[in-house]
Amino acid sequence: MKAFEIHTFRDGQWKVDSVFDDRELAIFEAKKVDQNRRYSSVKVVEENYDEASDKTTIRTVFRGRKGAARSGAPKPAVTTSSRKARRGGAEREHGGKSRARPQKKQPTSVVVPVLILLLLVMTGIAAMLGLQFVRN
Amino acid sequence: MERRLVLRLLSHWRMLCDDRAYPSFFDLDPSAIPAMWRDCFVLEIFADGSEPRFRAVGDALAAHVDFSLIDQPISKAPEKSLPGEAISFLEEVLRKGVPISRGDEFNKEHGAKVLYRSILLPMSDDGDTVTGILGAVNCREVIDG
Repeated sequence: MKAFEIHTFRDGQWKVDSVFDDRELAIFEAKKVDQNRRYSSVKVVEENYDEASDKTTIRTVFRGRKGAARSGAPKPAVTTSSRKARRGGAEREHGGKSRARPQKKQPTSVVVPVLILLLLVMTGIAAMLGLQFVRN
Repeated sequence: MERRLVLRLLSHWRMLCDDRAYPSFFDLDPSAIPAMWRDCFVLEIFADGSEPRFRAVGDALAAHVDFSLIDQPISKAPEKSLPGEAISFLEEVLRKGVPISRGDEFNKEHGAKVLYRSILLPMSDDGDTVTGILGAVNCREVIDG
């Protein structure tokens, strides 16, 4: 079973605003809600419940402009949980304050070590040329 | 202008809400939404948990059932009828307390396939407890072959 929930962020809390069974309708409505100054952020969460495995997959399929600009990471997040676990998660999400995700450290750039290596090589060459010049 | 009934009614509901969680029936003026009202219905929800009842049914929707649903409990709405299908997820709306829209299909008694889309919007007289539902549904018949 699939559901698309519009979530709105206001006064430090995410709340379910409305629920659709159609992705296009949900995103269309979320875009309208996103223009409303009342909410600081809007997103559409797709919930996919698999009865056979009792697992619910949750995926953000739309982030409003304000939300995307703030987080800087509009990539959809996918999580899987059992229905029981999901209930706890939903309570947390609706009751608790949202917390900023810890930002991942960017991998160290390779440019710096290459530059150092290049500098060492050039220094070596300069030293060899210098020695040759002294001998002559 | 938005042409989809459920989104137009949702937009009207949001306007009635203003800064509240739910609008009141006192705010609802059918004459302000004459085109939509034909496909609308109103359910009264009782605090004692007794069965909700139809309090209003628009002309276009009423035409899908050959008796009046006004003041009837929701169980009187035939299952394979537009009003019956439109309220099939009422329990979920009452549990979540938010507007829900669903679309589906069903076969009428004479076999015609009907595609419909419905929306149920919670209303409240005290701004906190859901005391009613404003709903709307429209459909089209699909002829196979």
